[in-house]
Amino acid sequence: MQNPVIDITDLSKFYGKSRGIEKVNLEIGEGEIFGFIGPNGAGKSTTIRVLMNLIFPTGGSARIMGMDVIRQTKEIKQKVGYIPSDANAYSSMDVNEFLEYSSRFYQITNGNRRISELSRLFDLDLKRKIADLSMGNRKKVSIVQSLIHNPGLLIMDEPTTGLDPLMQSVFFELLRSENQKGMTVFFSSHILSEVQMFCKRVAIIKEGKIIQIEDIENLRKKQLKKVYIEFGEVIRIESFKINGTKNLSGGPGNVLSFLYSGNINDLVSYLSDKKINNLTIEEPSLDEIFMHYYQI
Amino acid sequence: MNWNLFIKEFRRNSFSLILWIIIITLFISVTMSVYRTFLENQSKIAGMMSIVPAGLLQFKGISDFNDLLSALGFYAVNNIIYMMVLGSIFAIVLSSNILLKEEYDKTAEYLLTRPVTRSEVFLSKMAVISVNVLLLNLVTTLAGFICIEIFKTGPFNIKAFLILSLYTLMLNMLFGSTGLFLSVIVKRPKPITTFCIAIVLIMYFIYTLSKITAGISKIGYLSPFKYVRTDVLDPSYNVSPGNLLYFTGIILLLLIISYRRYLKKDIYT
Repeated sequence: MQNPVIDITDLSKFYGKSRGIEKVNLEIGEGEIFGFIGPNGAGKSTTIRVLMNLIFPTGGSARIMGMDVIRQTKEIKQKVGYIPSDANAYSSMDVNEFLEYSSRFYQITNGNRRISELSRLFDLDLKRKIADLSMGNRKKVSIVQSLIHNPGLLIMDEPTTGLDPLMQSVFFELLRSENQKGMTVFFSSHILSEVQMFCKRVAIIKEGKIIQIEDIENLRKKQLKKVYIEFGEVIRIESFKINGTKNLSGGPGNVLSFLYSGNINDLVSYLSDKKINNLTIEEPSLDEIFMHYYQI
Repeated sequence: MNWNLFIKEFRRNSFSLILWIIIITLFISVTMSVYRTFLENQSKIAGMMSIVPAGLLQFKGISDFNDLLSALGFYAVNNIIYMMVLGSIFAIVLSSNILLKEEYDKTAEYLLTRPVTRSEVFLSKMAVISVNVLLLNLVTTLAGFICIEIFKTGPFNIKAFLILSLYTLMLNMLFGSTGLFLSVIVKRPKPITTFCIAIVLIMYFIYTLSKITAGISKIGYLSPFKYVRTDVLDPSYNVSPGNLLYFTGIILLLLIISYRRYLKKDIYT
């Protein structure tokens, strides 16, 4: 990739003997919306914290927009927005005071206009004290502060935690619009559906190592669902035969659960002649996805 | 240094600074206001003090009753605990919290992802400590000067007064840098205020203990209070280069170690 916005080479971070991340390699191009997915403790936040120079790597290197994340951190942060997983701000300030304080760190002239614009979009009351805000509203403040200076790259660590569905859709709409203007997005999450919906490419991290970098389209083709069926009659596991099932298990009662990677229409027609009390189809956990696809 | 950060941090600590200035100034004013009454009743007080054990008087900072008869001597003996001990507690509490608070309040992640270097953060916070300690010392020294001027019965040695104030400032700065040092070496981000106050009080206790107990007078050198000359009425009273070197040396050493440690510190939330 030519001139990647994020370029990570053999990046490692060990906390004493325990592993944070190990030899992570990643390239993210300009204008990409890139997902970074993995279960809790996989190393997503560690990678991001190294990129933001909050912690220091024990090996390898990372560059953002061609600049070294340790030596040129100030220059990088002029051009990067960051939404942390915990939206913490100075509780003694009110929202406006905090956002104005944030904008003064950047060489920008239209800070106040941008604050009003973004606050209106997220229905944020600028006069309220940070200490009195709910978790969702604190998240909105965090989102606004990350975009005040029109960053070229936005790094987000679990950005939707605490946001209601309506605000999530406002947020994603805003990101799409900023992305169309040229902003690159690095989106870390443990929610696969969120990443699938928003990102073009995704890296999957587990136990500190990148195990796969894939186009989201390819991942979609491997649609995996967790299915629970409560039958209205006794059913034997051996008699349940349909292609694409895995981890089939019975009980309690007449409940059958399994992972399904086939066409959902085939499953529905297979079940049509059976007596069913309840049917639940949901997203599998990331661990189940990893076990299914990557056999690790 | 980053001005945006400096101004915000200075404002955040301004209420505490004003409160400490008021408390110390009040203590000084109240103490000095009894000076005239003390002089009027000096023979009675001298009689009462003659039955007090010398060790206890030493603990209070009184080595010679005659020292108390001059306004400057009275000021030096009675206000050392306010200016030096309280001032040092103010300095160490402020400095131990100024970086660490960002970590245990979980705002360090916000601050360090702004376009500022670690060096700028450290220097801005250090500047806030210095300005706060300097302002506290300036105002309380001025209050002390005005009190002496009001209550004095004769001329007093302004040079000695200023030298004593300089020692106080150096001592407060030393505890300020100690607080900063402790805050960057702690592994877990949590308040260390109680521990820091205890350090100041223990150091003062060691100093006074070494003064009243002849056999262990050498342990006094472990305490920075030992390096503050309070014998303001001694005609040879002056700035001791050795003591000045001790203060500047330790302050610089602690600041350099703290600075280097902070530049490489992993910040967790």
